[in-house]
Amino acid sequence: MRNRLRYLFAVAAICVSSTAVQAQTNVRIATEGAYPPFNYVDAKGKLGGFDIDIANAICAVAKFNCTIVAQNWDGIIPGLNAEKYDLIFAAMTATIERRKVVAFSNKYASMPFRFVASNRVADAIAAAPGTGIDQLKTALKGKTIGLVTASTADPYVRKTFEGVSTLRSYQKMSDVLQDLKAGRIDAYADGALGIDATFLKTATGKGYRFVGAPLTDPAYFGTGVGAAARLKDTELLAKVNTALAQILTDGTYQKIAKKYFDFDIYGQ
Amino acid sequence: MLDGYGPMLFKGLTATLGVAVGAYCIALVLGVLGATAKLEGGRVTKGVAEAYTFVIRGVPELILLLLVFFAIPTLIQSIVRSISPEFVNFRLELEPFTSAVVALGFIYGASATEVFRGAIQAIPLGQLEAARAYGMYGRVLVVQVALPQLLRFALSGLSNLWLIVLKATALASVIQVVELMRVANLAAGATNKPFTFFLAAACIYLAISAVSLVCIKFIEVYSFRGTEQGAK
Repeated sequence: MRNRLRYLFAVAAICVSSTAVQAQTNVRIATEGAYPPFNYVDAKGKLGGFDIDIANAICAVAKFNCTIVAQNWDGIIPGLNAEKYDLIFAAMTATIERRKVVAFSNKYASMPFRFVASNRVADAIAAAPGTGIDQLKTALKGKTIGLVTASTADPYVRKTFEGVSTLRSYQKMSDVLQDLKAGRIDAYADGALGIDATFLKTATGKGYRFVGAPLTDPAYFGTGVGAAARLKDTELLAKVNTALAQILTDGTYQKIAKKYFDFDIYGQ
Repeated sequence: MLDGYGPMLFKGLTATLGVAVGAYCIALVLGVLGATAKLEGGRVTKGVAEAYTFVIRGVPELILLLLVFFAIPTLIQSIVRSISPEFVNFRLELEPFTSAVVALGFIYGASATEVFRGAIQAIPLGQLEAARAYGMYGRVLVVQVALPQLLRFALSGLSNLWLIVLKATALASVIQVVELMRVANLAAGATNKPFTFFLAAACIYLAISAVSLVCIKFIEVYSFRGTEQGAK
């Protein structure tokens, strides 16, 4: 099915590129810049990461003249709708809630969502009765869970753990991790890849691990990571999809993915 | 120690100073205008100035800044677009740096207005009457008698205001001005070392304040020359 879709997209790409006017469109893109390895600002002040490379590859194929800016996560969708920029590439999962306010491209990554906790808390969870999310609920009863405001995991955890655990909101991943290490929260739920790369795989993450199975409720965790555009910008989104299909077929995508991940980030 | 983010912090520092100086200048101009309007204006100008200081000083800076950057351009855009289909692609782009300077200048202009109003009112009427009795009018009266005293009375308020504006520039980080606070935030996010970078930023703010205080001292000594306080 995926191959057939890709074939269709490739054909569509050829049709579009042969008829389209070769003028460059100016496209302004926003990313968060605080979510390595997807997006970050390096010491020279330049944006880098998987999102940035994918965005640039899409811009090159679609012949967009792109500028990418860093924008705080909690204002990233309002900024899009206020027309500060036209697209978001920020490891943003296409959830049902977000689809009400912005439109998403086809997915360019799959993001697993998991809980992370200290080994002590993780052991307690593993020892608790029950399975899956019920086990987590039993073990985290009366404990404190950290979340990033407006993150994908936020509404799910809020609904599932309401009245069970105390929930605390933060602005970005590094803030939550700081409080997790300080012991002010017992567990943190968010995209597993960011936590893994910046925390668990580094010296600071020693003594912490993922706990429980990845969170999968499709009503909350949507259909993978996509680029976001304003609801009415269907034409722009179609161009992004065409370009995305092309970089998926010509190997550009795989080359970029290999730079950042040692597994299949595209997913099923 | 700073993971190579030192030069970026320095760049942030220049942006911070840029926003602070720009906003402060605007605030001073608005302050003089506002104070004049309040003391000398007719009913309408007086009312406008009163409303300005009342509203601006009563609403958090952060809300005003977000309004200037997000809400006002969107509002103007939708108004213009609704006028005629020709303008359907009209877009009002406010650059973050300019927005921050204008917004903070506008916000602290309200405080400056009060500082100037107080200072003008503090000038003893007798001084002005004496000057007039000596035949000093217009420019001479203002420059030789009113302004030096005004400066003396306004100085502590104005230097306070400068330090407040300086620190308020950190608010500009929420509208993505890459100033000190924003750089510290970005570096903290990228390296996962929030303490290092926020501490570095705090030290830099403190250093600017220290330098500012030395300059203020010089201005104080100058403006109080020939007075009892200056002789101390």
